[in-house]
Amino acid sequence: MILLEPHNVIIQNTLSEKLVKPSSLDVAFVDYDGVRFRLSTPEKKTQLLLSMSIRCWDELVKYGALDILGREYGAMLLPQAEPEYNVSMLIDLEQAPQEPDAREAFVTSISLFKRHAYAAPFERAFQTQKELEASGAQGELMQVHYRDEEAIYVQAAPDRVTVIFSTIFQEETDGIFGKVFLQEFVDARRQPSVQNAPQVLYSTREPPLEIRHVPGLRNSEDTGYVTFVLFPRHFAPGVASSTISHIQLFRDYLHYHIKCSKAYMHSRMRHRVTEFQKVLNRAKTEVATGERRTVTGRTMVSR
Amino acid sequence: MDAFRKIDIDQYDEDRLDASELYEADPRDPAAVLDEAKQRQAAVRSTLARSDIPGALAIVLENAPYGPNVDDAKDVTLQTLLSILNSTKSTEITPAIKALTPDAQDTLMKYLYKGMALPGWGDISGSVLLGWHEKLTEVAGVGCIVRTMTDRRIV
Amino acid sequence: MSASSVSRAAMSNVLRPYLAAVRSTLTAALTLENFASQVVERHNKPEVEVQTSLEVLLNPLTISRNENERVFIEPSVNSVRVSIKIKQADEIERILAHKFTRFMTQRAESFIVLRRKPVPGYDISFLITNTHAETMLKHKIVDFIIQFMEEVDKEISEMKLSLNARARIVAESYLTAFNA
Repeated sequence: MILLEPHNVIIQNTLSEKLVKPSSLDVAFVDYDGVRFRLSTPEKKTQLLLSMSIRCWDELVKYGALDILGREYGAMLLPQAEPEYNVSMLIDLEQAPQEPDAREAFVTSISLFKRHAYAAPFERAFQTQKELEASGAQGELMQVHYRDEEAIYVQAAPDRVTVIFSTIFQEETDGIFGKVFLQEFVDARRQPSVQNAPQVLYSTREPPLEIRHVPGLRNSEDTGYVTFVLFPRHFAPGVASSTISHIQLFRDYLHYHIKCSKAYMHSRMRHRVTEFQKVLNRAKTEVATGERRTVTGRTMVSR
Repeated sequence: MDAFRKIDIDQYDEDRLDASELYEADPRDPAAVLDEAKQRQAAVRSTLARSDIPGALAIVLENAPYGPNVDDAKDVTLQTLLSILNSTKSTEITPAIKALTPDAQDTLMKYLYKGMALPGWGDISGSVLLGWHEKLTEVAGVGCIVRTMTDRRIV
Repeated sequence: MSASSVSRAAMSNVLRPYLAAVRSTLTAALTLENFASQVVERHNKPEVEVQTSLEVLLNPLTISRNENERVFIEPSVNSVRVSIKIKQADEIERILAHKFTRFMTQRAESFIVLRRKPVPGYDISFLITNTHAETMLKHKIVDFIIQFMEEVDKEISEMKLSLNARARIVAESYLTAFNA
């Protein structure tokens, strides 16, 4: 699996299961970027309550997350969220479509709960870009602080939408591996097959010009900034939604593969060290290991 | 307050051994040694001009400076030796080594290790020194290396 | 003959005199005998580590290819300390070498002759004492150190290649998905 999937597998699996055979449940689980979910049946087995908590919920609401969720889920969305969560929806299994295809689409749509919430700033930026085409002004710089010290910045311009990720490499190794990966993102565009992809720029330490005025930016060695430049062809009506799903997951994708590389290095080193061990063991001289007994038949043990 | 705890009482031991007691010091005066090293450098240059590698090696390795206080002479000698090593063709190395006396071979080994301990100094080339080391070990054996380790008269 | 085996053969040819010098020097240094401490009664310590009795310490020797690749061998009457500086051409090789040596030192007890901490200025150190020389075959210990030196360079450059290859695939797959 190289690419990450935008939907939540736990929601998808649980829901498909409960549609076939409803039963009471109460599960809490998490997704990327510290998003928490709770899926429970507070009243009856056929009514599932799905709640989500996102650390940057207020920012997402400001950029129109509720509108998008309302558009996607309609009446299922509850006006009042469950305590400790930001947003809740009530899924009535009896109201779910019956035909297999429609049912699958229904489940998939619900499992994209988080994706839809995070889509807000991107959708707004794509819309703003259209409006700006005439005026030529710069759009508002939207900030989404999706993790403790990391953020996504989205800004529309008359001819493009710029998406900037700030990310922290917690370990020195992550930072160095990260640089290798990011350099490849920059270089990969030379390939003919990916020339239509958005332009990628990265910098460590120095924030890019677009966000340099934002207060509280860290410019330490372990900080990286990645800029994607999206042109209208990337958010044409047919591809906009896949672009959003895709770009949202960039940070998780990058870190996921850094961790994978580290795990791979580790397994290689483990193997190599075992080989060295064998070489060294060949140096050991044979020691007679026969059991030694005293006259009375007791075993001698050397300590 | 606790300074007395840190005193190395072993240094007041009557039987204590100093580094200088481990070998007979060079009786010559440092300035004289340096002069000699410079004269040898000139002699080696003229011998090298006749492309007499064994002769040049014999001159520089004979009576090489050792011990403390003669660092300048040692540097000159190393420089001289390097000029010989770097200008020798790889096919001439083994015959040149075979022509040396065992003592000169030991001294050559000392200088090879000295050179390798100073990578980047002067015109030291690791691969040249390693090439000489390999051929010298072939001719003089591991014993030559052991003598480099045990001889206190460090060059 | 594939390209990689050609380059490996070429590499080992360049490395050969270096490894040969380490092998002969180590062989010369591995003449160890049991030797009780002269400073502390009824103690028996690796003299190269305690550095208290000058007369039992021999001249330390360095074998180097260049500033970045060298081996430091410190012989003494009952122990030899071998320290290796591994080639590190860039930041990635540095981190990989560091990770690798740390990985090994954390398993030092199974590597008997491995020192838990490298000597300053080197990446990894081995301490071979007379006990090791008595319970193990001397030339096989030398083989082990030589093989370690050979393989560690190879392993680091292969890991670096695989990291770059992975990064390329990851970047391409991500960016290609925008075309869909």
